[in-house]
Amino acid sequence: MADIPIKVLITKLGLDTPDRGAMVVAHALRQAGMEVVLLDTFQTPEAIVDAAAQEDVDVIGVSCLSGEHLRLTPRLMQAIADGGLTDRLVIYGGIFPREDIAVLKEMGVDNVFMGSLSGEFIDYIEQNHAAKRSA
Amino acid sequence: MSKIETERLSQAYKEKAKRLKTWSGIELEPAYGPRNGGTDYAADLGDPGQPPYTRGIHKNMYRGRLWTRRAVVGHGAPEETNARFKTQIEQGVAGLDVITDTPSMVGLDADHPMAEGEIGICGVSISSLEDMELLMAGVPIEKVSTVLLPGGTQCPVVFAAYVALAQDRGLKPSQLRGTISNNPLHLYFCGPVGKITNPMDLSLKLSVDIIEYCTLNMPQFHSGYSNAYDMRESRIGAAQEIAVGFAEEMAYIDGALARGLDIDDFEPRRSMYFSAHTDIFEEAAKLRAARRMWARLMTEKYGAKKEATRQLRFGVHTGGSSLFPQQPLNNVVRVAYQALAAVMGGAQSLHCCSYDEPVAIPTEGAQQIALRTQQILAHEAGAANVADPLGGSYYVEALTDQLEAAAGEFLDEIDQRGGFLAVAETGWLQAKMDEATLNFQAEVEAGERVLVGVNAYTTEEEDLTPGGVFRVSDQAERLVIERLQRLRATRDEGKLRTAIEALAQKAAAGQSENLIPAIIDALRAKATKAEIGGVIRQAFGYSYDPLGMLENPFEGNG
Repeated sequence: MADIPIKVLITKLGLDTPDRGAMVVAHALRQAGMEVVLLDTFQTPEAIVDAAAQEDVDVIGVSCLSGEHLRLTPRLMQAIADGGLTDRLVIYGGIFPREDIAVLKEMGVDNVFMGSLSGEFIDYIEQNHAAKRSA
Repeated sequence: MSKIETERLSQAYKEKAKRLKTWSGIELEPAYGPRNGGTDYAADLGDPGQPPYTRGIHKNMYRGRLWTRRAVVGHGAPEETNARFKTQIEQGVAGLDVITDTPSMVGLDADHPMAEGEIGICGVSISSLEDMELLMAGVPIEKVSTVLLPGGTQCPVVFAAYVALAQDRGLKPSQLRGTISNNPLHLYFCGPVGKITNPMDLSLKLSVDIIEYCTLNMPQFHSGYSNAYDMRESRIGAAQEIAVGFAEEMAYIDGALARGLDIDDFEPRRSMYFSAHTDIFEEAAKLRAARRMWARLMTEKYGAKKEATRQLRFGVHTGGSSLFPQQPLNNVVRVAYQALAAVMGGAQSLHCCSYDEPVAIPTEGAQQIALRTQQILAHEAGAANVADPLGGSYYVEALTDQLEAAAGEFLDEIDQRGGFLAVAETGWLQAKMDEATLNFQAEVEAGERVLVGVNAYTTEEEDLTPGGVFRVSDQAERLVIERLQRLRATRDEGKLRTAIEALAQKAAAGQSENLIPAIIDALRAKATKAEIGGVIRQAFGYSYDPLGMLENPFEGNG
């Protein structure tokens, strides 16, 4: 078990383009021994789910910096359900008004990170991905 | 006191300076003195207003006129942004910066399938001349200095709409003051907006069209500025910021020279856009070094004769990447120091970030504090009274020298690698930026670089938005799409096709035709921004739709 690295998809959503954060997170996860699939930008929710299924990732990580999270997340979660990937951990990183974090979780996002040091999300992924996948 | 409290108090008492470098990493001595400088006053500094302008481009600096206190505005539908203009003007801003939303930046109309959920969120939605009319309704554009900030290859369309609006109001283009961003090349380093939707050759051609049009028709208007700011956001250093900004500007200069323009005709109406981060001394020194370096570059490399060509004018925007979501009110303090550095560095205009920007679009209250920060600097802090207040400081002069030398080395290296376009295309500069981003993060993670509230002095539960949250209205998307659909349904197809065909023909002529007049005609015939952009893209061999999802509606059974 321990020999198979955790596989994480890191992506932007929609037209949101600032990609420094996604690059930094991908680097940190690789340093922590995970396998990272970093998508190009301009991804629709459906394209993200296709890539997640094809790569059979354990975690879908979405970087959101432009404020479209409340509009596009329901569509992403629907695509995840339609694609039969509800057993994958879905985490968000970026900038969000705090009141939106509860809303995102209600929509089905497992956890939301903002301005975090890498230890926080690495620990979270390590501790939660397997339980979600076997649930 | 408990034992733990006593221990903490003792540790806090003994705390000392930790990272003995500037923010960008220049190693520092404990103190500076005459031994650090080889500066020749007349040759290297000069009085304010005297070459090489290290100490500023004006003799009496802010006594003549304060820096332009600016605010960036842009959200929702054009009429909503128009309403925010009025609030800003009431609060005392001296100039407006209008930013467009992400679909506009990418070159899409509001009804593009990928624009769903993105309308008006990061700026104002603009798809047509009608949108420009609503945006500027009631704003006397011949009196207000407006900066238009559309992205990349959308610049000529938004610029043309502004000129068309002026003409429709009975004004001459020559009466317009203000600035168009017109810096598509730097977008190559701002994620895929640049790489995918703003190809280099097309970007350069269109930006030179704007420079040429302004030079011939709009003597009071600034034809663009190079955007060192956005590239610095990747966390490259202060010296590298100067170098990449100058390298970008040299690409436009070379393009305009190749078009047959004279540097002394166009360059005085261009400027630079720098950042100001929190290290006060380094940032002020950076701006001083940049001015000196520019004066020498213009004289030695380009043979500039006019004083105005050799005087580097710049706006400063406080560094967005230096603000953090944790303990957000701390950002008010960071921005104040950054603004102080910009003013001590002799900026011509300044925009202060709002403290809540790392969390969401600024609230009106936060924008007001950002503006008040500038007004306090101008009227209470004594920052406006004396030109170049740091001039002659052993430390600042030494930093100025070091930054100029390091910036010169980096610029030489870019030059040797073929210039800005070449280092963009080979990925060399992107790799340098990625390295800087990762180094910064590693220093933060290791605690080597202390960020207050982020990796030190943290608190558990925080209110990240003490001033509330600004939300773009729900109606914006519906409003702009309905308006756009009405425009498409009611326009005269014959006139539209004639204008589009004329534009396509001129675009196919390559460098020899300036496209601005044909774009103005197309806007008047009610072509949309993406239609105009698409037809031009095709003439240069790119897909009509920047994202390759839509077909050209004017082809086929027309």
